[in-house]
Amino acid sequence: MRASTCSSSVLRPRTTLLTRPRTSKVVKASAENATESKNLEVMRKFSEQYAKRSNTVFCVDKSVTAVVIQGLAEHKDTLGAPLCPCRHYDDKEAEAAQGYWNCPCVPMRERKECHCMLFLVPGTDFAGSDQDITMDEIKVAIEPMR
Amino acid sequence: MALLTRVANVDQQSFDATVLKSSTPVLVDVWANWCGPCKLVAPLMDAVEKEYNGGLKVVKVEHDANPSLISEYKVYGLPALILFKDGMAVAKREGAISKKMILDWLKENGVALAA
Repeated sequence: MRASTCSSSVLRPRTTLLTRPRTSKVVKASAENATESKNLEVMRKFSEQYAKRSNTVFCVDKSVTAVVIQGLAEHKDTLGAPLCPCRHYDDKEAEAAQGYWNCPCVPMRERKECHCMLFLVPGTDFAGSDQDITMDEIKVAIEPMR
Repeated sequence: MALLTRVANVDQQSFDATVLKSSTPVLVDVWANWCGPCKLVAPLMDAVEKEYNGGLKVVKVEHDANPSLISEYKVYGLPALILFKDGMAVAKREGAISKKMILDWLKENGVALAA
């Protein structure tokens, strides 16, 4: 028996390589160790794949990358969708269901504009050269913040 | 004269006294915990505050804990930099920028470094 999510009826084009249908129940994660969240690995892999696919690179400071990936994973845990962690929302659930700011957000998909500095156009301010980030790199960056 | 704590966090309760009633201009940095570029900008706030050497007060407002401030100043993109003069928000900029761009932006908005 599957629990339905509020977003299962919203059709929006998915450009990510994650094809698993979003019918899994939303786990309302408590503040337990989020580095155990499988969504952290999911968002890590997504970030690597999407950077390569969009010909963008990670920030020269990879801790920025790590922090954003953690923020995306946390939203995926609590809202069922990777809502952009660098924004204020009047209603997070509604935004996650609507989809504009779900990563990869519309500004990124249309204009390669990622104000989170997760995906940067090579040669622009703060752009590094990596398109990979390991789970160790992420954990090292986010541990001090837990 | 001892300078007060550099770049402290302020909240909704202390905002009026610390920011709105300040005689010097105040740069407010609005940040959130898992916002990567907010982390990038944090040390730049320290650097800017030092450089202004008392001519500019710099404070931080954390997003999750201060919803009424967020809503009052219509903050959506993070980080957001808001410049206050005489109790009024005179300029707002969303997104992380380099230290030089912050200094240029402050100068454009009438808060230049003392010669």
